[in-house]
Amino acid sequence: MIKKFIHQFASPKTYLYQVNRFYPYIFYSSLVIYIISLIWGLFFTPEDFVQGNSYRIIYLHVPASFLSQSLYLAMAVASVTYLVWRVKLAAYLIIAIAPIGAMTTFIALISGSIWGIPTWGTWWQWDARITSTLILFIMYLGLISLHNSFSNFEKADKLTSWLVIIGAVNIPIIKKSVDWWSTLHQSASITLTEKPTIDVLMLYPLIGSIIGFLGLITCLVLTSSKYQILIREKTKSWIRDYV
Amino acid sequence: MNELKLEYLKLKKKTRSWLGPILVFWLIMLAFPLTVEFMQDKLEIGFFSVLWIAILISMMLATEDIFIEDYNDGSLEQTIIKNTSFQFLISIRIVVYWLMIGVPISILSFIFSLGTSEDLLLSISVIPLSIISSYIFLNLFALGSALSLNKGSLLGALITMPLALPVLIVLGKSIIAFQLGINYLEFILLLLGCLSIIIIAVPIIVSFIIKAHLE
Repeated sequence: MIKKFIHQFASPKTYLYQVNRFYPYIFYSSLVIYIISLIWGLFFTPEDFVQGNSYRIIYLHVPASFLSQSLYLAMAVASVTYLVWRVKLAAYLIIAIAPIGAMTTFIALISGSIWGIPTWGTWWQWDARITSTLILFIMYLGLISLHNSFSNFEKADKLTSWLVIIGAVNIPIIKKSVDWWSTLHQSASITLTEKPTIDVLMLYPLIGSIIGFLGLITCLVLTSSKYQILIREKTKSWIRDYV
Repeated sequence: MNELKLEYLKLKKKTRSWLGPILVFWLIMLAFPLTVEFMQDKLEIGFFSVLWIAILISMMLATEDIFIEDYNDGSLEQTIIKNTSFQFLISIRIVVYWLMIGVPISILSFIFSLGTSEDLLLSISVIPLSIISSYIFLNLFALGSALSLNKGSLLGALITMPLALPVLIVLGKSIIAFQLGINYLEFILLLLGCLSIIIIAVPIIVSFIIKAHLE
């Protein structure tokens, strides 16, 4: 049953219709969650006793950083799916995610830099976490350039998938960089295995902002993937009916 | 052994391909002291950074035409249908490039390091670092060269450059570790660990990539 569902959903046509069905729900609920979390975090949480009000940038920085890595992982999964099972939709998703991944990584870097000024006294530091995130940003740009350099989509998809898989080695490096090297960047405050080190008053809006941001970025990915399908499948008869 | 000899003879004939990167390395290392005229007595401060970057650039240049000529004249297709494993042939080619370009550059690195720092032990410590790093860089840029086979080597170098940056960070840290007398061997082992994975993974991935180009 699961296999049947995956095969059905992996068809660009079914995907497109399902996306259109769920898109408004995801978009509006995420928007509401993010706005509420942002207002809660910015105006109704106490000041940090060390960082003062500057810590409030976490409601943008943490979701962006989390998603910059998650989107790359999603691309890696899509790449394996494409190379192993030749699922066309996976290839469309890779190139749909890449520019959005680059954007979230850029937001993470810029918001981190802005946060760096009041806390570290510098915009930039060649610290392991920051450098590996910069590498991730360059990887995203490289993937987009590689894909755009080929006019043959199939070849571009295959080569980009390989590069995505190779580049995935950077993700555990980013994740563990704060543990493997002595860095200015603090360790993760929320992990799956340990109790959060952040106060609950700050934690709830943070979780809300992560969920809201995740939903909004998912909507961007869905829109971008719809665009990819419309371009790639433009010769198919069902597209004409759809449009 | 025959494959090794064949690849060696092929590269030896292309003088520009193996001599060019060595000369570029030489020129960068010679030009470096000229650009810091006012602090000739403190050259070693920036020397190692320039050394690692010079190795990186030389390896990038070395892999510029590692597959493209064979791709253009059709011999890559012939190689794929040979009885010998294609991955193995790619490994051999990278080894030959390393022996003819990476190893001489590592020896030059030792000489330049000795001339600049006047510290024999430190200069000896540079040899394993440059030998391992040049092999890692060659593998990574060979991968880039395969990915951008008919799109120019610059694209390939740019897309694989991020993967080389962690190696540069480790190289920088290992020299500091040696100077402070701590953990130097750990860095060598870390590089060797990376190399052991790269040696196996890169030829396999490159073979798939080249096959995708030829399909």
